[in-house]
Amino acid sequence: MRHRLQALATCAAFLLLPWLPALAQTYPDHPIQMIVPFPPGGVADLAGRPVAAAMEKTLKQPIVVQNRAGAGGAVGMAAAASAKPDGYTILVALSSISIIPEADKLFDRKPAYTLDQLAPIALLSADPTVLVVKSDAPWKSAKDFVEDAKKRPDTIAFASSGVYGTLHMAMAMFAAAADIKLRHVPFTGGGPALTALLGNNVQALASGPGPVAAQIKAGALRPLATWGNKRLEAFPDVPTFIELGYKDVEFYIWAGMFAPKGTPEPAMKALRDATRAAVKDPDFVETMKKLESPVTYMDAPEFQKFWDADAARLAKALVKIGRVQ
Amino acid sequence: MIDTLNSLALGFSVALQPAVLFYAVLGCVVGTLVGVLPGLGPLAGISLLLPLTYGLTPTTAIVLLAGIYYGAMYGGSTTSILMRIPGEAASVITCVDGHAMTLKGRAGAALAIAALGSFVAGTLSVVALMLLAPPLASFALRFGPPEYVALLLLGFILLSYMSSGPMVNTLAMAALGLILGTVGIDLLSGFHRFTYGVTDLADGLGIVPVAVGLFGLSEILLTAGGDTPPSVYKPKLRELVPSREELKASISPCLRGSVLGFLIGIIPGSAHIISSFVSYGVEKRISKHPERFGHGAVEGVAGPESANNAAASGAFVPMLALGLPSGPIPAVLLAALMIHGVAPGPLLMEQHPDLVWGFIASMYIGNLVLLILNLPLVGIFVNVLRIPYSYLYPTIVVFCVLGVYAVNSSVVDVWIMLATGAVGYGLRKFEFDMAPAVLGMILSPIFEMSLGQSLAMSGGSYGIFLDRPIALTMLIMVLALLGLSLRDALKRQRGGWRTGAGLDA
Amino acid sequence: MSSNAADRTPPRPGFWTGDRVAGIALIVAAAALAFETRVLPLGSLGRPGPGYAPLLYAVILGVLGAGIAARRGGTPLGAIRWGEARHALMILLACGFAALAIERLGFRLTMLALVAFLLGVVERRPALPTALVSLGLSFGCYFVFWTLLRVPLPTGPFGL
Repeated sequence: MRHRLQALATCAAFLLLPWLPALAQTYPDHPIQMIVPFPPGGVADLAGRPVAAAMEKTLKQPIVVQNRAGAGGAVGMAAAASAKPDGYTILVALSSISIIPEADKLFDRKPAYTLDQLAPIALLSADPTVLVVKSDAPWKSAKDFVEDAKKRPDTIAFASSGVYGTLHMAMAMFAAAADIKLRHVPFTGGGPALTALLGNNVQALASGPGPVAAQIKAGALRPLATWGNKRLEAFPDVPTFIELGYKDVEFYIWAGMFAPKGTPEPAMKALRDATRAAVKDPDFVETMKKLESPVTYMDAPEFQKFWDADAARLAKALVKIGRVQ
Repeated sequence: MIDTLNSLALGFSVALQPAVLFYAVLGCVVGTLVGVLPGLGPLAGISLLLPLTYGLTPTTAIVLLAGIYYGAMYGGSTTSILMRIPGEAASVITCVDGHAMTLKGRAGAALAIAALGSFVAGTLSVVALMLLAPPLASFALRFGPPEYVALLLLGFILLSYMSSGPMVNTLAMAALGLILGTVGIDLLSGFHRFTYGVTDLADGLGIVPVAVGLFGLSEILLTAGGDTPPSVYKPKLRELVPSREELKASISPCLRGSVLGFLIGIIPGSAHIISSFVSYGVEKRISKHPERFGHGAVEGVAGPESANNAAASGAFVPMLALGLPSGPIPAVLLAALMIHGVAPGPLLMEQHPDLVWGFIASMYIGNLVLLILNLPLVGIFVNVLRIPYSYLYPTIVVFCVLGVYAVNSSVVDVWIMLATGAVGYGLRKFEFDMAPAVLGMILSPIFEMSLGQSLAMSGGSYGIFLDRPIALTMLIMVLALLGLSLRDALKRQRGGWRTGAGLDA
Repeated sequence: MSSNAADRTPPRPGFWTGDRVAGIALIVAAAALAFETRVLPLGSLGRPGPGYAPLLYAVILGVLGAGIAARRGGTPLGAIRWGEARHALMILLACGFAALAIERLGFRLTMLALVAFLLGVVERRPALPTALVSLGLSFGCYFVFWTLLRVPLPTGPFGL
């Protein structure tokens, strides 16, 4: 019934719309598309969907989540960056958003998109990645893992969310610091990468805590270390790489919301307000807690600063890692 | 077994919810309609309704879309039998004997047999799907990249071995499709391929515009301006009862068709189309009176019509168990699931039992609805075809443009449909089949990615395909099929399987 | 399908059969595609790069095209009839117009023009049914898909 009324109201609004000056004041007047550049089941998707649901309450329009996966997220990010800046396309992306243009530079190719094509709306979460292996794997600790990897270089395979994706960057930073060589098997996102680990097709995975928390609790996976600067609340027994003596191995997989640059100011404001309301929404907070990915909210100005600093740090790390496949 | 029954009970509790039931019936009705309309196949129907499912729950969305798919398998036979126009590609072979039966005054019986056969096959194969998908899903985690490579190779070879027309043609179309599938950002390396600065192409060519272009639009281009409007035969209700002999002759072809169709459906490929051809070939082969075929043999209707329905269900096995699209329609269904945040893959049955079992249960209901819909209402549906084609085809063009545009609100997609429609028209003039091209395009990214991943896993050694038993088994089957087809080609023997089944022209 | 093809002895086709033309067209297409992959790194057999698969497929397509072109028999080129080609071209033109116009004129006006053109000009139907069908289709689809089902469709000038 509510739907019918809504439809009627929209219909009525629509009939009146032509008689009003162009771009009527009522943003949004039709569904908004949220691009998630990874398949369902990864960090971006797990953060994007609940926040979309919470934002719908404020915006009074459906937010349609679209997973457009591929190339470490570059496919979907490029789609969002070049979308019409009318406020009806938003993007939920991960830290890798800053890496991909840098990687394109590294290979001397035309970048899929540039960072100045996107305007930040808000930071939603920031979690350190966790190194996980199957619970029947021989390694009980990160030390075992490194020793074994040194003994047989280029045999242990790890899955990632794509070349220069977040999960690849994290692992590459660790491998460079520990001076080990691993086999890299890229997938289209964290979800398929996790499936590959569970299916024994790869032996290790750096993952955001959200997607693997349930599997760790169920005893299918074993965490060896985390990339944070302090231990994770959910896994207090798991040491950080910094504790283990790898000083520079620090990596966060953060999820932020963006819009194409040039989105009209009223629309940006409405989106920021809706996000601010959404992160306080009890349903949303509860969902994120269940996912072991506590909300870390920053509004646009603050987030922009955080993003700039993070991008600079990742660019430096990328140069150190260099060209890899 | 008890588990299955419990799950099925859960499924029915979902499927009998009024909303789910409503969308199942709606899907079946739309499916029958698009099946009846030539040029508007299940894919166009699904793409038309895809944007509408954004606002539904994932279960209702997939129930609706799947209903269109198997509904079209029913509807497609109607026009084949009455007018010798296949409403849907899977019903091409039904034209032969179905229309011959119409000429002999047995149109009603042919329609009834087609509907009954579809119902039996549909129901049997849902049972098989129900029993087979869960064990396969638990097995599916072991399905890594090397297994995907082997499975896809097997699918391609099987497709070309079994489709009509020369094998080189089929393989050439598959290769063309594979190339189309490489357009866009390379999933592994991030390089832009064949995008020429068009940002909409970065994401690759969409399944919907390409398939609507190659199948739908090219069909209209071929048939519009045809010389004479087809004459419509209107069946009477009392003629619908098949004779005792006809029923008896149909039972075994129907059962054989179900089994064949289901097995072929599991392998990636345009299963519902191939299976109908294979079933026809088999029936002709084992019949005591093969000369009756082509002159109104009821087996030639019962077998293929059962097979294409069973294949439609069989195609859901890899989709539900592996998250692998076995053709354009499962690919769109998977995309619809992704829109709702349901990750297809080996964990689907575990994480979303209500969705999977609700879907399975709705297929039981859908098949029943379709039987009811098709027998008495066939006359009404056929009336759609009384609309002169000069009015009908502009309508279909509108639906094609609308469906393609609405999926992504993208004009580039309309251009893609236009281009592929023109190319498809040209190729079909030269007797190329478009199904392998669409299949190649869909599977291209998965194939390339799995190959790259397999080699990354093994450090560049192709030995990985020989080390893994499942992959090795499938590769041996590929080699065996290649050997068989080479032997057929070299000897050109008339007794070969392909010639026997009437697949070699 | 046509198992009766074996029964009749085909008339000796000339050199230019349908297969020959199609095969050569495929070879040309494959060569062009292979040429287009030159900008992409090829990688190695053990580590395929982004150019590897497209080039491989293009080579396969070329080889198969050669196989098709070399095949004996088949339909003589003259036997392929192009009776519907004019209609096909008109429909393609109409679709091209739709692609150009849909986001400028809006869905309803574009479809109105498309259907009116196909019915009135291409098919030469009487004016009244043409007007009724084109109006009904364009506004009807818009009503069903946007107003009832809320599938976003573009609008043009005057909100039409």
